[in-house]
Amino acid sequence: MLHQILSTTWKDLKILFTDISGMATLFLMPLMFIIVMSTALQGLFNTGVDAQPRPLPVVNLDRGEYASQVIAALDDIDGIEVETAWDEETLTREQAEMLVVEGERSVVVVFPADFSQQIAARAEDDDATAIVELITDPATSVQLIAPIQGMVFGAAERVAETEVTQARITAGLASAFAQLPAEMRLTPDQITIEMDGASVVALEQVAPAEMEIEVEPDTYQQNVPGYTVLGVFFIVGAMASSILAEKREGTFRRLLVAPLLKPILLAGKILPYYLVNLIQIAIMFGAAHLLFGMAFGDPVALIAISMALAAAATGLGIMVAALGKTDTQIGGLTSLLTLTMSALGGCLMPTSIMPDFLQTLSRFIPHAWAMQGFQDVLVRGYGLAGILPEAGILLGFAALFFLIGVWRFQFD
Amino acid sequence: MEAVKGISFAIRRGEIFGFLGPNGAGKTTTISMLSCLLEPTAGTAIVAGYDVVKASNEVKRRIGLVPQDLALYLTLSARDNLDYFGRIYGLRGRALCQRVDEVLEMVGLTERAKAAVKTYSGGMKRRLNIAAGLLHRPEVLFLDEPTVGVDPQSRNAIFEHVERLRDEGMTVLYTTHYMEEAERLCDRVAIIDEGRIVALDTPRKLITDLGNGIIHLGIANGMADGILGRIRALPEVKNVVRFDGKIRVEAARAQETLSRLLELFNSTDTDVTALEVLEPNLETVFLHLTGKRLRE
Repeated sequence: MLHQILSTTWKDLKILFTDISGMATLFLMPLMFIIVMSTALQGLFNTGVDAQPRPLPVVNLDRGEYASQVIAALDDIDGIEVETAWDEETLTREQAEMLVVEGERSVVVVFPADFSQQIAARAEDDDATAIVELITDPATSVQLIAPIQGMVFGAAERVAETEVTQARITAGLASAFAQLPAEMRLTPDQITIEMDGASVVALEQVAPAEMEIEVEPDTYQQNVPGYTVLGVFFIVGAMASSILAEKREGTFRRLLVAPLLKPILLAGKILPYYLVNLIQIAIMFGAAHLLFGMAFGDPVALIAISMALAAAATGLGIMVAALGKTDTQIGGLTSLLTLTMSALGGCLMPTSIMPDFLQTLSRFIPHAWAMQGFQDVLVRGYGLAGILPEAGILLGFAALFFLIGVWRFQFD
Repeated sequence: MEAVKGISFAIRRGEIFGFLGPNGAGKTTTISMLSCLLEPTAGTAIVAGYDVVKASNEVKRRIGLVPQDLALYLTLSARDNLDYFGRIYGLRGRALCQRVDEVLEMVGLTERAKAAVKTYSGGMKRRLNIAAGLLHRPEVLFLDEPTVGVDPQSRNAIFEHVERLRDEGMTVLYTTHYMEEAERLCDRVAIIDEGRIVALDTPRKLITDLGNGIIHLGIANGMADGILGRIRALPEVKNVVRFDGKIRVEAARAQETLSRLLELFNSTDTDVTALEVLEPNLETVFLHLTGKRLRE
């Protein structure tokens, strides 16, 4: 019995290893996933490593000295690299907003002109509050913003509290000594200095003026597009396997004997999967709307970006069908492409937390453009005109994949 | 690699023309070229009056192909398969429905029409495979090894379908490596080997030309040369050839020649080490022409 099991195992191993490239992708896929995910997430797990500091643009409009002290304190924090200049010029508020709008940075810190003035006033006036503005893309995840909020608040509050406390002690002592008769001595318990427990600094999170905000992003608006884009690209495997089966079973051969043009036949193979993609997106977004009350934003824009996304996914399906010659190759290629591209494209985690080179790489991944398009509609409140660039780029990817696919496609 | 090396033949309208040859002889390649799947590297081919390269669409409208592979959607029903292939050929609505019913009836699958094809027996799948090639009433039907893996009962049913199609005026090109099929079905047969047609005629004529029988003799070493001339001189013997250390005797009447041969060997003290009388059939014709058996 054992002999039979071992014989069968050996036979199947031999069959598997006859498809070397198929097997290679099976091994390559998890390896790629490990590399991409580990590199992409190093920003989250390695925050204290100086070698990989996270850039934090800071605009200092403060007329006093305290903002500079806070900036110096922030610069001392491991894992943070304060940027006060851009293109060798001091960073302005307008530039900072553009950095966020263009996706170069997800958070910018702004110290307003009266920052020091408010801290100084606090010694006398309990209502005086020093505001620090955080300009953020509304689509940036809370996981990314929260640590930065904590670091900025902590650094600013330390500087402010030190100054306010010193000012109050000085004022309190001066007041106490002023009231004393010259011959009297004062013991420490006879001096009272009033300190309140309220924070001196307050953070204000704002979006760039160019981003029209309809709603605040919630967990569903972050996750639903992510998993939808991930799921939509799973069509690649189903589509490529179906085409391979047509070749294997000889049905393509039968169809090609009919008076039927090859592009028509291919279009017939693509269309059902394109429709399945659209249904998939409708179901995912519909469920998110019904179950979690997620708002859709502009429906026309949402439909446009969905149609462009489905075109890119089915285009990739044709390309994989053309490149994969066996089921194993197609399975491996599908997993390799869909998972790696999903990770790089920001479906599993925001691209903004990835290292710069991965963020640059993500511009060449359709998933990233689909994610940006969906978040433009859902979170940033853009209409059709606002998502045309993303839709156009997705259609460009679709055309590229389709052309490679048709170029390499063999019908038998 | 050249699969077909300069073949030339003409098929008459309304005949069943057989392509008989072993696997790899070039039968499927020829059919692929005639059905516009493969462009010939040289030469011309005219099917139903149209050039397969210059007017491939006209050819495709007039031909039906029953490929060697089943070429069916196994998870769909027979009706769904036929409905789809019919639509590809431009059939619609009532005409499509009626034609699907007709071909289902023709191949005897009406009762199982709604069952998934994967539940069919091998013979049923083969019959459906043929039905799919008939939907658009082609003028010329290419049947590429349609009986591979089919039980004898289904094979007979397929023969009857093909004969009926011929009787209705359809021209059929039938490839097979089963000589019994070619003998039974085909009006004319081309014997193909290594990409060349080595003989072309009616099965009867091919067999008659060969004589009524072939006798293979094994004779002890050193004795063969002397005996060859005496065998040739025997009445009824048409040809004597040495091959693979044996002697092949082609005779008009195998039985009479055999007794004369035995007399000759007795009188000359010749040691016969092997003796085989081959049936007069296409298998023997093929062996005679190529020195190989059909199913080698």
